[in-house]
Order: sequence, then C-alpha cells, then structure tokens
Amino acid sequence: MKKSIYFLLFASLLYTSCKVDDEFEGPSLVDLYGDFSVVTGLDISNRNVNFSTGETTTFTAAFSKNVDWTVEVKGLQSGAVKRFSGFSNVIDASNATWNGTTTDLPMFRVEDCAVQLSIIGVADTLHDTLAVVGSKVYEGFVVADFENGWNSGWNTYVQSGANMSFAVQTNGNAAQGGRYYEMAGAVSWDWLIGLVNMPGSAYGSTYYPLTSNPSNLYFNTMLYKPAGIDNGLVLFQIKEDDNQDGMYSTGSEDMYSIQVSLTANGWSKISQRYDNIPTLVNGAASGPIGNGLHEPNKIIEVSVLFLANPTSGYSKTWMDYMIFTEGSALEP
Amino acid sequence: MKNKLHIVVGIVALMAAQFVSAQEKDLRKVVFTGAARGLYYGDRMEQEVEDSITIPRMNSGHTLVDLGMNIRPNRNTEIQGMVRVRNDYGGFWGSGVSFDIRQLYIKGVAGGIVRYQLGDINYKLSPYTLSNTQQEIITQGPVIFQQQTRLMNYDNFYAADSSWRQQGAAAEFGLQFAKFVKELQFHTVATRVRTTDFGSINDRLFAGYNVNLVQSNFLEVGVNHVTLFDIEGTSRNLSTFHNPVTTGTLLLKKDFSDWKMKVNVEAGTSKTYYEKFEGSPETNGKIFDAKWIAANTSKGFSIDAGWKYVSSDFRSPGAQTKRVNYNYQPSSFGRITNDQVVRNLTAFDLMRESNAYNRQLSSNLMLTQPKYDNITPYGTATPNRQGLTVNAKYVNPSQLFEIAATQLMLQETRGEGTLLPRKFVRTEVKAVAHLSKRFGSKDKLFDVSVRFRNDNTSRDAEENVRAVDLSTQIFSVGMEYEFWENWDVMLGVQQIKFNGFDYTAVRNNFSEIYNFKEYQTDGNEFMKAAGLRYRFSDKSSLSVNLSNFKNTDAFDATQNYTIRQFMLLYQMNF
Repeated sequence: MKKSIYFLLFASLLYTSCKVDDEFEGPSLVDLYGDFSVVTGLDISNRNVNFSTGETTTFTAAFSKNVDWTVEVKGLQSGAVKRFSGFSNVIDASNATWNGTTTDLPMFRVEDCAVQLSIIGVADTLHDTLAVVGSKVYEGFVVADFENGWNSGWNTYVQSGANMSFAVQTNGNAAQGGRYYEMAGAVSWDWLIGLVNMPGSAYGSTYYPLTSNPSNLYFNTMLYKPAGIDNGLVLFQIKEDDNQDGMYSTGSEDMYSIQVSLTANGWSKISQRYDNIPTLVNGAASGPIGNGLHEPNKIIEVSVLFLANPTSGYSKTWMDYMIFTEGSALEP
Repeated sequence: MKNKLHIVVGIVALMAAQFVSAQEKDLRKVVFTGAARGLYYGDRMEQEVEDSITIPRMNSGHTLVDLGMNIRPNRNTEIQGMVRVRNDYGGFWGSGVSFDIRQLYIKGVAGGIVRYQLGDINYKLSPYTLSNTQQEIITQGPVIFQQQTRLMNYDNFYAADSSWRQQGAAAEFGLQFAKFVKELQFHTVATRVRTTDFGSINDRLFAGYNVNLVQSNFLEVGVNHVTLFDIEGTSRNLSTFHNPVTTGTLLLKKDFSDWKMKVNVEAGTSKTYYEKFEGSPETNGKIFDAKWIAANTSKGFSIDAGWKYVSSDFRSPGAQTKRVNYNYQPSSFGRITNDQVVRNLTAFDLMRESNAYNRQLSSNLMLTQPKYDNITPYGTATPNRQGLTVNAKYVNPSQLFEIAATQLMLQETRGEGTLLPRKFVRTEVKAVAHLSKRFGSKDKLFDVSVRFRNDNTSRDAEENVRAVDLSTQIFSVGMEYEFWENWDVMLGVQQIKFNGFDYTAVRNNFSEIYNFKEYQTDGNEFMKAAGLRYRFSDKSSLSVNLSNFKNTDAFDATQNYTIRQFMLLYQMNF
C-alpha cells in the first residue's frame, strides 16, 4: 500500500509539473478577437528624402494587435505609387523602409508625396506627407530615356499611314523623368507601323558597352498601353555581330527578339534576362540564325518595331527608359 | 542439449491454437452464420417556432438479412463470405432493395506456424497506433437506447475490442524459447485505405507491425510501428503523404497476495510529411503514457492511475480517426422551420443514423463536437493533452452491484492562440445494480444503471481574450425488469446539458490551425423512453419502444423541438 501512495504522490508531482510550450499553436486570439487601438501613430523618419544619394526613409507605427496594414505613398505630380503591406502589430524599418522604388509606374520624380496608412477592418486612415528631393538613380547602360530628346545616331522608318506620330513627347506623362517616345498611327496594308533603330554607333562605339556574360545581364524597358487600344504589338530586335566584321548580316547572324502585346492599361515594365531572350520568326520561337550564342558584348543594334494587324485600325503605345542592367532586373 | 538454448518454433500463438481447437470441436465443412433484422420507426416532430413546410410525421424502416457462409475446406483454412440483402419498407419490386457483399475473408494457419488472414480483417494495436475509439456519449447509456446504438456499431463493423475493420492482409506468428526469454510474438498488417482515381489521388495504404517480447511473467516489452502512406506512381499526382508512428511498450506484472499489480508504459513518436509537395509542413510529435494498475481479486476492487503526455503535433490516423462524421446532416427531418434551416446533429441522431459514421482512417484530424466531448475528442491519443488519469472500479463480491469512477485532470501541452493552456477536468461515475440478486428470483433480469459525467474546459481571461468555460453534464438512468418469463420492461432517461464558451480551432488540409471560431452554447438534449421486449432466446428478441427526445438551444430557437419516436425492432443472430 505504501508503494501505491508513493506512486500517487509521484503522479501528482508530474501533474503539477506539466510544462507548456513557449509558443502557441495557430494565430493569436488577441489578433482575431482583441480590441484594436493605435499605440503609436504614423511617423516618417526622413521627410525630405534624396534617393539619388542613396538615402532612405522609414514609416513607423504600432498597434495593440496584429492587423493587415498598408502604407501607400503617392507622388502628387507623377501619380506614382509605392505600397508597403503586412500583417503585424509594428510598422518599422524591417517592413516599411523606402529606397525610392515604385510599386505602380510611373517612377517617382522630385515631387511632394501623400502618405496614407490604412488597416483592414478599421474605418479611419492616418495621413502624412513627405518630399522627394532627389529621385532614385539606377545603375546600368541607358539605351534611351529621351530626357535629352532624339539621339542623332538613331534612325527611324515610319509608314505613310493615317495619324502617324513617332516623336518624343513632353507632357508630364513619362514613366521616368519628363519625356517619353510615342509611336502611333494606322496602316491598312502592312503590320509594320514604324520602327526605330538604335545602333551602337549612337553611343560612340560599334558595339553596346555591355558585359560578355549573358546570364548576368537584363534588358528592361517600359511600355504604355492607352485605354481602349488593344491591337498594338511591340517587337524588340537585338542584333549581334557574330563575326565582328562591324556590320549585322541578316540571315546569318543572331537576332534575339522580345514581342510584347500589352494587356494592362498604363505603364508596364518589361524585363528579361539576356540569355533567356529567344530567336523569333514571325512571332514564334525558332532555332538560332547565327552561332546561337548569346553574346551581349557583340550587340551592334537594337531595333524597336511597332506593329498592328492592318485590319485593326489605329494603334498607339509609348516607350520610356530602355536600360540594360547587371545582376538583377530593373526595380523601378 | 539441456543447456543449449534452443528455439522451439511453436504453434504459437494462442490464437492459432484456439483456431485449430475450434475446428476440432466443429468438424462441419460448411456453416451458415449471419443475422436478420426488422426495424421500423414512426417519428413525429413538434416545433416551438411556426413551421408550415416541414412534414411533421415520418415513417421509415427496413428488413435485412446478413447471410454468411463459413467454409472450412481443410483443417487449416477458413473462408467466410457474407451477403447483405436489405429492403427498405415500401420498396417492393426492386425499388429500395440492395444487395451488398458485407464480409469476405480467407484465414488459416500456414505450415502450422503462421496465422494469416486475407480480405476483411478487424485489427487493433496499441491505443496510440491503431485503435478505434468509441463514439461520444451514446455507447454507455441505458440499454433501451443502446439497442439502436448496437445496430449501428454492427452495421459499421465497430467491435467491442476497438479494432478497425480494414481490407488487406494480416499475419502473426511466435517463437518460444527455452531460456531467458519466454516468447517472442510477431504481428503484421497491411491494408488499403484509399484507391486511386488514376488522376490526382494516389493509392493510400496503412501498414504496421508489432513485436512483443514476453520475457517472463514479470516483464514484457514491445515495439509498434504503423504508417499511413501514399504509393507514388499510382496516379499522376507526384506528391505523396506519409505518417509513420512508432511506439515502444513496457509491461511489468507482479502479484502481492490478493493484489495484482501492473505498470504499463507506452512512449513513441510520429512524423507527418509530404514528399514532392512544395510548401507542405513537416510535423513531429511524441507521446508518453505511464499507468499503474492494481486489482484486488478477492475484494473485486481495481484502480489505475496514470500520467500521459501527447504533444500537439502528434498525428496517428490509426488511433485518432473518429467514428462520428460531424459534417453529416440528419436524414430524418434534415431541414426544419419555414426557412428550412439544417437541423443540427444530436445525440438522438447519433443513436440511430448509421450513415453519420465513418468507416475509414482519416489522415486529417476530423471535426469534433465540443458540447459532447472537448476533452478526449480523438480518444486516448487526442493531441495536445497532458496530465493525470485515474480509474477505479468495484464489483460487489455477491455480484449485486458494480460501480466505476473516472477522473481526468488534463491540460494542453501547447496553448491554442495564446500561451495560456486550457485545462480539462472530467469526473464520471457509473453504477449498475443487479437487483434480482436481492429481490425476486435470481435467474430473472432486474438491472438498474445510473451514470453521471461532468466535463469542464477552462482557461482564465487575458487582456483582450475572453475566458474559456465550457461545461457538459450527462446524466442517465436505465432499467430492465423481467416481469414475466422472457418478457422485459425497459425504461431509460438521458440528459445532456451543455453551457459555456470556448474558441474552437479551424484547421486546414494539413490539420494546422489557421483560425479560431467563437463557440457559445447553452442547450439541453433530453431523451426518455419506455419499451417492452420479448426474448425468444439469447440470440433473438422483439422490442417495442416509445421514446421522446427534446432539444433545447438558448441561442437558436429553430433548434427547439421535440421528436416522438415509435420503434419496432426484431433482431436475430444465427
């Protein structure tokens, strides 16, 4: 009987010494059912931020429980939008530090911005402002940003259709800076509406000044689709001088192409790693024309062709900020 | 030779020996077995809210025959086949008539050593690896209610030994030793849980083994291993599910004069993971269960006390699969009121609706019903529980009465949604008095049973989180009295009262908690019944019952109703 008593005592000891894990299972009940309150309101660490010198700014706030929050910064001139969102009870440097990039194009300019903090399930929003005193500068080889107008080294061919417009525009609608290039018109007898050739010689040498590593190089540009115009095709042709004789030989040297049919209205970013850019024949992937090697250091010319089905009528697109970047795609 | 350790490959296994001896007793080569039943329900529903749509009366019932043929082509082989023919009342000329294969197996002893069974098999291992936990509440009520529950258990192959009915193969054999070790027993089983659709669903198997070493009358140790797994390549789906569970067991036995003492320990781990399923979680769980058991053979008293720990990530489909499918919608008065809202599943439905039950192992934790059982919803292997369990039983030496009590004091191993664990307390007392021993003729039936259970789940309030306090009380009284030779009168009352608040976990397809729902309840399920039974023999009887079920829900007036039931039941086993 003594042993029985010892055992019961031992069992009681075990019960009282039951340990509980120091992490709970599932979502926090406080987050789901607790009362919400703002512990610390919205604040901005740098209200006059110069992104061109590498500065950043941080948004901060604290709440009584985890919530789905969104901080939205909107450029008052450009209409550019940067958005941060998360599910937490603290907004700080770990989840809301801005380095000048954009969520919804166009890119931010030197301008004043409105800042808004909204929380799902909470009717009230918190507001503030900041000023961008220097926009972000990107590393890479800029093929065309049109900020200095038309490059005299480029050449163009435009069909003699109706309402033709192949020109640099300055009207505040650019994706980056103040200018962009408009391509528009109606050609009833041919897919081609017009094209722009950008040879390496326009930049002071036969070839584009690029790395020889195609897996570390990205082609980037921005295209704009106006609302209601759905028939435009933009074809980028990147020509390599495989035998390095100083000229591109059609039909015997590589030409890699990107064909874009825009679906979303407004500005969109186009980015592709150079070694993933295919050879296209009439829009379909095809075998290589030349040596089949992606050799960016042998790019002799980039051409931009604006196309549309001749039966579809008028078409229009805008183009801005064509740039080759190394290491990663452009993060505008 | 005497000193040499020699292995006697025995005809081990008591079961094999029993099998052979059973055949020797009955040398007939073909034996017909089975059961027959005629069941009729006449129901009438009355509601508190106005309802001009629901038909208040409903009649249903069926007759069925399970016709089995047991064939023994030789001394070591047995073949069993059973066909069920069922005819719903009103279903003449083919309508409502069904023919099913209810049972099919072959078993025997190979080479006088290995006992095997192919086809339908009932199998169980330890409480943490393969065990079919009884459904909530209704399995221990008065006999007048259990009449119907037993029919459902029979229809769903739920055996009293907590085994699962599976389709597959099983084999067992043993080795007997002359020294050091008394016996080594091997058991193995493999069953098919799910069949492929050749598209996205793979074949799923359940396999396992048990090795038990009987060292002496004092010591036994064992290993159990089971696994539920998908077979890659049986469909176009490359991802496969795996859930192995391994436990070790230890049994110590010692007698001290009239006291038989035992210490029973089981400890093990589980792992749940997917292969080739990006983003799927891997969980690792563990269990420890130690129990001390003491029984006084002369005084009829026994007690066991134990401590257990089942981690929140412990997953064992063979032990945690529930019998009740709480997604089921009652077929009788399935929709009620003028709005035709769904009638919630109640203990009344669980008592008589076979289709509310599940027959296959589930890889996920199934839905539970906190008002019925919030403490052990997945049986002994319920995850996220630790604490003390105590059971005591006393059987009067003159067999006049027996009384049993249970006390559980458990808490979570890991808080749900908060660091604070919920605490669970269950107190249960059951008693049966065989009054014919004291009053009237001793060979007459006169039993009275009483049962009371109180469950409580609690957790203190925290800042911004409500306190948890959910209670369930179950009270029942039953009586069987043989007033004339083989004529019995049966009475029964059962009340399930529940009240309080808890947060219930909502789980995803990986059984992970991703949300909590507020669960507020305040209700009462009251059942009373009276009936007459005539026992033609121990294997056949005819019963007529009248019962009344009243459901009350303080938060949902649509669920306030009464169902009166007339039941006529004839049953026979042969």
